Amino acid sequence: MNIYITGYGLISSIGKNIDESLSSLKNYSSGIEESNLKTTKGFKVGAIKATNDELKKEFNIKTDCSRTALLGIIASKQAFYGHNISKNIRTGLISGTSVGGMDTSEFEYKKYLESEKHDINIYQQHSSGISSEQIAFELGISDFINTISTACSSAANAIIMGARMIENGFLDRVIVGGTDSLTKFTTSGFKSLMIFDEEFCKPFDKSRKGLNLGEGAGYIVLESEQSISSTKKEPLALLSGWSNASDSFHQTASSPEGFGAQLSMLEALNKAKLKPENIDYINAHGTATPNNDLSESYAIKKIFKSTPPFSSTKSYTGHTLAASGGIEAVLSTLSIQHGYIYPNLNFKNPIEETELTPNLKFIKKNKINHVLSNSFGFGGNNSTLIISSI
Amino acid sequence: MYYIHAISSITHQNTFRIDNIIKELSPIKENSNLISPDYKEFIPGAALRRLSPVLRIGLTAAIDCKNKIGKKFDAISVGTALGCLRDTEKFLKTFHTSTSDFISPTSFIQSTHNTIAGQISLGLKNHAYNMTHTQNNLSFEMALIDAIMCINEGKINVLVGSADEKTPFLELLQPKIISKKYPLSTGGSFFSISKTKNKIGIIDVKTIFNSKNTELEIKDFLKKHKYETKDIDVILHSDSNIEIPKSCHFINFLKYSGLYYSASSFALHFAHDYLISKNKNSALIVNDICIDKVGLILIKSNEA
Repeated sequence: MNIYITGYGLISSIGKNIDESLSSLKNYSSGIEESNLKTTKGFKVGAIKATNDELKKEFNIKTDCSRTALLGIIASKQAFYGHNISKNIRTGLISGTSVGGMDTSEFEYKKYLESEKHDINIYQQHSSGISSEQIAFELGISDFINTISTACSSAANAIIMGARMIENGFLDRVIVGGTDSLTKFTTSGFKSLMIFDEEFCKPFDKSRKGLNLGEGAGYIVLESEQSISSTKKEPLALLSGWSNASDSFHQTASSPEGFGAQLSMLEALNKAKLKPENIDYINAHGTATPNNDLSESYAIKKIFKSTPPFSSTKSYTGHTLAASGGIEAVLSTLSIQHGYIYPNLNFKNPIEETELTPNLKFIKKNKINHVLSNSFGFGGNNSTLIISSI
Repeated sequence: MYYIHAISSITHQNTFRIDNIIKELSPIKENSNLISPDYKEFIPGAALRRLSPVLRIGLTAAIDCKNKIGKKFDAISVGTALGCLRDTEKFLKTFHTSTSDFISPTSFIQSTHNTIAGQISLGLKNHAYNMTHTQNNLSFEMALIDAIMCINEGKINVLVGSADEKTPFLELLQPKIISKKYPLSTGGSFFSISKTKNKIGIIDVKTIFNSKNTELEIKDFLKKHKYETKDIDVILHSDSNIEIPKSCHFINFLKYSGLYYSASSFALHFAHDYLISKNKNSALIVNDICIDKVGLILIKSNEA
């Protein structure tokens, strides 16, 4: 059964829509900057340069919600633009998030800790499930709503869940992806793990020190064959393969040989009935932490005898956590549509053990048939998507 | 049908490693506590000290299920409504109050919702599909839908369950945003399910958002499987305001589990043991802990 991609939308520090994002990618223009926001002051982050009120005004959104839900609404509305709710097409929303409404609740909780008056109603926005319900409400979707929370692979897993819901005959069409906003919670968390780079992150570089955080949301619309015959939507690409596997090595670190990553890439290739040499571009997880990039490089080398062009677009957006797999699925779909291979910024020297050099230039090819996109999360949660031309 | 081959629950009731929990159950009292097994039997001491209740429950129940079936799981699907709340609050407190540049990452690492499923994969050295669903009161139903799809896709033994924990802070949110009708509680129930026949099977699970008429939704759901409400022996509900035939036993499961948003997994354990102990045929779980959002799970006995 074919799973068609018939819509996409994203927002991140490199753009509030597809055109702005592509223009940043073409111009080697990263969204990562030194932050002066109260949550991330002093760090280099990929923040969306607009307050919640500014975003609500610009995108005409009335819902009272967290920034996480707000970014999700903006990106999913772009993805669903031109689609209509219809009784005959069972439509769902499956969204990934790791922080949910933490961006608002963390400050109320501080007041509580300091024995100040805190507004209990704020916590109604907190649960991850609520953020998805708010997004679904804005889209007019009520047939099915689910939230996946597997840390940094959440959006990729939401996409996988959606594709399987269609394959199993439970849904005809589903908006899938993820959203996360910058919070003091995650900033403090990654700082405590000491995996921040104080400079711009350098994915796959020998001297990489760690990641830069980012925020954003990215969604794609998946439809069954039967659904498009009724919606008459022009498919942009196919979601041809997917897999999720466990590294089962450590709660936060990847195994040195990237066992879980190898498993997920192999199983996704099997699902898509493709051989490694069929892959034209890998949109790597590439967080720029010493551990991830080495482990992912080993896994890529093990699966691909000759490594296809690969890059980490996190050098543009920062690591948008639960949203990253959604944003990167949108970029991978654009890659199929236009033949783009994206640059990996800030790279100078390859990692000694693996000697892989990512793609450094913005390339437009005549044809790209298959893009493989990796997303790995805490808990050894490894996911791979393969997006293919029609 | 998706048959239940092992169950493991750790709750405020005496449910762990009990052959049939029905005779153990009594309405939950205010200030009751989680009845914890001797976790040391399942988790090494050093690791155990770091784990919050919800992580201990998940890991122990998963190991217990695995020991019962004696086979590895081909997929792991977990639901949690609020995730690892204790570690989340602990880390909030740490970074809000610490003056040091260096703070311990442990509670941050253990705060993500998928720490439960992740710890299970680590504890069981399991490399299979590993998923975490969080959809308020429907978190367990979501995990169950995923597990059913895994079996449809050819996976043999699937671990599915849910867990949630209460914290003192959650109690502060009562009654304003959390009902005070039932005491808040901590609990988790895990199941090993497969296609291989056994006493009790899950026929179907459904989630409904924006439900206008729960009775009608129930009717439609049952009709799809050639049942009428009067055919159902027991309905386990969450204080649901629905009219039911007199022939049907009507039990409010929240009276026994206490309130946690993924308590419908406890209801499934309850329903499973009810059918066996009373030699009955069919049970329906109606979970509308959150208004307008309904989860339905239909199970039947293969023997009665």
